[in-house]
Amino acid sequence: MLMSGGIDSPVALDRLLRQGHDLLAVHLDNRPFTDETPLAKVVDHLEVLSKRHGRRIPLYVLPHGPTQIALMRGTDRHVGCVLCRRFMWRTAERIAEREGASFLATGESLGQVASQTLTNMRSATAAVRLPIVRPLIGFDKIEIERDAKAIGTYEISTRPGLCCQAVPDRPATRSSLVQILREEERIDVDEIVERCLRQATLYPA
Amino acid sequence: MAYERLRLCTGRAAFEAIPTPKLALDLGAARRRIEAEGIEVVDARVMLIFRLEAEVTLGRDGRVLIKTSDPFLADAAFHRLDRLLGLSAERPPGAPGGS
Repeated sequence: MLMSGGIDSPVALDRLLRQGHDLLAVHLDNRPFTDETPLAKVVDHLEVLSKRHGRRIPLYVLPHGPTQIALMRGTDRHVGCVLCRRFMWRTAERIAEREGASFLATGESLGQVASQTLTNMRSATAAVRLPIVRPLIGFDKIEIERDAKAIGTYEISTRPGLCCQAVPDRPATRSSLVQILREEERIDVDEIVERCLRQATLYPA
Repeated sequence: MAYERLRLCTGRAAFEAIPTPKLALDLGAARRRIEAEGIEVVDARVMLIFRLEAEVTLGRDGRVLIKTSDPFLADAAFHRLDRLLGLSAERPPGAPGGS
């Protein structure tokens, strides 16, 4: 389960835990393009949900800042959000394979931000093979916030925190996979993923 | 004067200063100037990240983000950066004497 520290991902995680799935959390640490607050929020979200469901939720933290730097230096900023997302999925899939997980999950819902338009989601998830579960896909923000308040994660999510500074001024809302693949030819995808995975840290919940 | 004032970001964890109109900074030159002060700089091509009184991000368009919720610290970092790079004297692209 990809966890960002925002409002949506703990709600999505809660829904899957209620269904009885065993899950592990993955957080892509975006420093220096953000600060330490998203990671602190994820840790607190997992503490709340571990208590609520009476089970441990291990957390993998992966450094995403060096990936963002490689993307900024080597690719078209206009499609930066989709490329960023593809690397998140790739590293999460590798962790999932390592742990024997059978699916990936996120708190995405359609149309909330640039990376969550249908075409961008399609371009992003074409990077991985595992099925992706999105428990909140048809929810609107008001419904998600209501659920977040009910499960006790809303207050954590809305604490002060820094937004991602790597988001370009005008991120593409429609990207073609051909364009995305062309951009990725300009960087060493495998090396970027391997470097990220080498620095993965596992925190038992 | 390109910058008016520092303002707290919507996430309430940082202050930002945005020049009006936007600038077109030479980040390579800015990086060399900052590093000459013995300050380590992360160069992400379209932005530089470095630590003054707090961690600072400087965009090519002149946007300055200072990662602290302390207004005094943010003010000190901004003025130090301004002294270092002369940001307030920068002219927007196309302006007389601008880059």
